[in-house]
Amino acid sequence: MKNTIGLAIFCVVLFVLLLMQSFIPPIRFLEGARLLLVPALFCYAALTLPYPAMLAAALVTGFLCDVAYVHVVGGQVEIAVGWSIIYFVILGSIASGFRPEMSRGRWWPVIPLSIVGTSCFLLLQFVMISVRREGFFFSPETAWRILVPGLLAGPFAMLVHFVVSFFNQLFWPRATQRHSAAARSY
Amino acid sequence: MNKWNIGLIAVVVGIALFLSTRPAAQVQDMQAGFLSLLSPFFRTGTAVQEQLGSVGAGLKTLDQLEKENVTLLEENRVLLTTNNLLREIEGENNQLRQALAYRERSVFKLLPARIIARDASTWWNTVTINRGFADGIETDQPVLTEIGLVGKTTTVGKNETKVLLLTDETCRVGARIEGTKEQGIVSGIRVQSQRSTGELHLNFLTKNAPVEPSQKVYSAGVANGVFPSGILIGTVVEFRPRALDGQAVLEPAVDLSKIEDVFVILGAK
Repeated sequence: MKNTIGLAIFCVVLFVLLLMQSFIPPIRFLEGARLLLVPALFCYAALTLPYPAMLAAALVTGFLCDVAYVHVVGGQVEIAVGWSIIYFVILGSIASGFRPEMSRGRWWPVIPLSIVGTSCFLLLQFVMISVRREGFFFSPETAWRILVPGLLAGPFAMLVHFVVSFFNQLFWPRATQRHSAAARSY
Repeated sequence: MNKWNIGLIAVVVGIALFLSTRPAAQVQDMQAGFLSLLSPFFRTGTAVQEQLGSVGAGLKTLDQLEKENVTLLEENRVLLTTNNLLREIEGENNQLRQALAYRERSVFKLLPARIIARDASTWWNTVTINRGFADGIETDQPVLTEIGLVGKTTTVGKNETKVLLLTDETCRVGARIEGTKEQGIVSGIRVQSQRSTGELHLNFLTKNAPVEPSQKVYSAGVANGVFPSGILIGTVVEFRPRALDGQAVLEPAVDLSKIEDVFVILGAK
């Protein structure tokens, strides 16, 4: 039941983040890099939800990301819808490996996973666009736009963790106490 | 990993592969549906942003408003008169063109629209406007402002449309340089620098083209193309002769990062 509620909350927050991202302008002094929050949120969900729920989260996240940003010009889809689903399944499977750490109260894996997950997502998009347009070129701006969103996703993932912990303590105080005791004994 | 999880992975990957084989039209339908879902939130968000931005800046006294109103009414009368005169001249021009067996110059219907969201993606330059197929918009219709060209429509929803901006690498426009016979294709670049208002490249010019900075570039109006001729695209900043051809670097006429209101050309009246 708790996992179903967790998954439902994840879907709502995901939708809100997709909306929010449209109103956040690019950061001019960081070469126009953008704040990309969705992969970080997914990483956190993958670390906390059981594997089947993580797969459902990957399906929803990938589909919404693709539909929101798919680029169709001249009757051709630049990057096929569905690739993000596969990407998030792979990222989520890696993240699931760190779930035991998370259940012991060690939340640090969410930071490197969010950083790498966000930057890899953008790098893969760039590579696929370059293949599609038949021309590779790499400029300093490109590197900024791939690396900066990743670095910003790390602190965001931390923020998500603290917000979720706060609400957990508010609504399920006993479960949180048991969790903390387990973490201490470990 | 147990059998259940493997089965679930197979189902999810199967769905992803099924989606990846969908034709472009179906993908656009899915995107249009998603845009429609987001549209009320975009409109509310834009309205809130405007309200927040206009606090203080929009406050005026009644006297100031009255003066502004008088000036605007006067300007409106002048513009209406000029417009009527130009329509007469346009009719006369078309009659003369017909007499000379030239193709009649078509008149376009402009639909005003407002930008309600800017694309949050890193690699594509698009915006969303508050008009859709309910207003007569179709795919591949030119979008402009009173200053110059902005881009073209791509995915069209019921009350919202995605506009591909001129600065995107995939938006290509046939163009000519003012005062020369040089013609080429304008396109944006993959990763725009944030230090300028945007950069466009005019490719396939002759190697020694007589192109000077500050010359204006207009759409050429290719037969069966998307963009009509004579719309200002930008100004030449630099000319680069290359091994086989020449390339001009342009500054867009319209600052695409700041525009809020645009017009969509709906087609011949």
